[in-house]
Amino acid sequence: MKNHYPTLIALLCVWISFAQEEEKVSFSGGFESNAQWYLPDDGIEFTLPQDRLRSNNYFLMRFEYGKFSAGVQYEAFVPSPLLGYARQYEGNGIGTYFLKFKHEDLEITGGHFYDQFGSGLVYRSWEDRQLGIDNSIRGVRVHYDFTDFLSATAFTGNQREAFEISEGTVTGVNAELDLGMALDMDNGLQLGGSYVNRYQEYTGADPNFPADVGAYSARADFTFDTFFLGAEYVYKEPDAYVSNGVVENNNYQDGKALLINTGYATKGLGINATLRAIENMAFYSDREAAGNTFLLNTINFIPGYTKQQDYAVSNIYVYAPQPAVIIDEDKAGEIGGQIDVYYTIPKGTFLGGKYGTKIELNYANWHGLDATFDRDNSTYEASLFSRGQKYYEEYSIGIKKRFSRKLSAIFTGIHTEYNGRVIEGNDFFLRGNMQIIDVLYKLDGGRSIRADIQHLATEADRGNWAAATLEYAFSPYLSVYATDLYNYDETDIHYYSVGGSYTKGRTRVALNYGRQRGGLICVGGVCRFVPENTGVTLNISTNF
Amino acid sequence: MKKLVFLLLVVSAFAKAQTELPDLTLKNLEGKEVKLSEISKDKTVVVSLWATWCVPCIRELDTISEIYGDLQDEMGFELIAISLDDARSTRRVKPAVNGKGWEYQVLLDPNNDLKRYLGVSTIPFTLIVKNNEIKFRHSSFSPGAEDALFEEFKQIAQAD
Repeated sequence: MKNHYPTLIALLCVWISFAQEEEKVSFSGGFESNAQWYLPDDGIEFTLPQDRLRSNNYFLMRFEYGKFSAGVQYEAFVPSPLLGYARQYEGNGIGTYFLKFKHEDLEITGGHFYDQFGSGLVYRSWEDRQLGIDNSIRGVRVHYDFTDFLSATAFTGNQREAFEISEGTVTGVNAELDLGMALDMDNGLQLGGSYVNRYQEYTGADPNFPADVGAYSARADFTFDTFFLGAEYVYKEPDAYVSNGVVENNNYQDGKALLINTGYATKGLGINATLRAIENMAFYSDREAAGNTFLLNTINFIPGYTKQQDYAVSNIYVYAPQPAVIIDEDKAGEIGGQIDVYYTIPKGTFLGGKYGTKIELNYANWHGLDATFDRDNSTYEASLFSRGQKYYEEYSIGIKKRFSRKLSAIFTGIHTEYNGRVIEGNDFFLRGNMQIIDVLYKLDGGRSIRADIQHLATEADRGNWAAATLEYAFSPYLSVYATDLYNYDETDIHYYSVGGSYTKGRTRVALNYGRQRGGLICVGGVCRFVPENTGVTLNISTNF
Repeated sequence: MKKLVFLLLVVSAFAKAQTELPDLTLKNLEGKEVKLSEISKDKTVVVSLWATWCVPCIRELDTISEIYGDLQDEMGFELIAISLDDARSTRRVKPAVNGKGWEYQVLLDPNNDLKRYLGVSTIPFTLIVKNNEIKFRHSSFSPGAEDALFEEFKQIAQAD
């Protein structure tokens, strides 16, 4: 891959200087650097790595010229990637690049692209630097709008795998029809269908081995005034069962999923419910990568539908979705859902007070599928609509209240039930209760003080936790904070951290020193494990 | 590696820095398509990149929401909130916006195309756009930042 640079750069230069003469070329981009200097610490389980200074750097540039646009993202993980990121990233090089042509209703992209079909259950390629995920597809993508209400997309390519590309080839087609618009209906009705295929060569002896695995999605979204309802059904053709990177032959089982989303929204009140049943839906661009901890090669997107929590204590026991079959662990999939309610108590009422009171409720419940497993033959039997053991349950309430122009607060209460055996391979089932108070006081001249106190009471795992944060903003541009998450019950460990950030216009610089609790780090409902560590971190980001 | 960075810098020096919103089409909460290049036609608007899971983003939009009506009357203030919620939480946007009683126009960017175009790595990220030209950018939110934003808006809206 590395020998592509000179050609690429030369092409870009030629193209740009050529373009310069006729029409204006505009460019945009961004730079982000996250560096950490690891420090020895006997107080936590942390072995100092050989490279004590590590950094992840991303330099993105995009050019636009008439009907063309192009971009390149240069990445440097020097001298090695931050702890918790895939080792394959070590070094530097061009991570992604693309050239796009767009004329009226036609769009053609060559190089790396990001896209998703439906809710992502059959295909989503995306980037999340915090999670170390970039599973863009490198290939060709064509999108065409036939009319205002009918469009289609087709692509083929290989998935990015750090600085390499996947062994398997991913191909997809998608069509979206806005029937509501086509028939000029008062209500919205959108239909969609997709097919995504992964082809990976097989050289073994089995004539029935599925080198080609396809997945189909059909969906409909309906909006009627303040009410909405959507459903997506997915079927995945039989795929090889892979355990610890080894393909177990003669055993190919299919996967399926059903996602239903419904809700109601009117001024002052919003309700949303999501239900999902999922069986054997792990889908990788390299079948041997199944179950890898760094989430490389994932073709589809299966987030955990639970509330994304905002505080230190409520981010210790977070649900990680379980879409895959793992026969040794008695897992075949999951079934469950969540309900969100957003409500504003109007101003001027007894509970609403002078400013109104905002309330957010969330309830989530997830169970494994009820399944039987044949360990000798590595097969299982399950029904998509069955409930086995409990994986996770959570009740949470958040109340946002403004007391005066200067003072406001958020009160949060959470009850969590967390199956540690299933979610993190530990041997506990945890029931915990949390209370969090977050207070914000605004001073003059853009200064403000924010403080929170947090508590988690539980008898399982490491027992009770407490946390507190104090944050002071000198202005809208400069702020400092100190925080501590304390496991006072079992280990007596303080996960403390202090730091500050400066932001001006397009640039932000943040400096922190402290301990990072190890465990599941979840962003957008996708989780991965990171090791515990101590150090100084510097984050710089800017865009242009 | 250094050579490459140098080359990229040279290349970028040739080109003109982007000051416009891209030619992108995003959907609003009713599923209708809205062209980004047209949202600030003959006017000044604030564009705020946010997500339902981003506490400071919600804080910023709640704060502005409380006096939004006054601001509209006083200086023709208009805010367009673009949600970066992905497939996991994009369904939550409509109930959240309604439940909070926000009056903003809300657009959805579930594939994060605008975020990538602008090179944004952290949200909240706030822009002031006039006639599709980006006049001001600010990332992060702390209380009081809204006053600075209103001040900038006034100056930009009044300038020729």
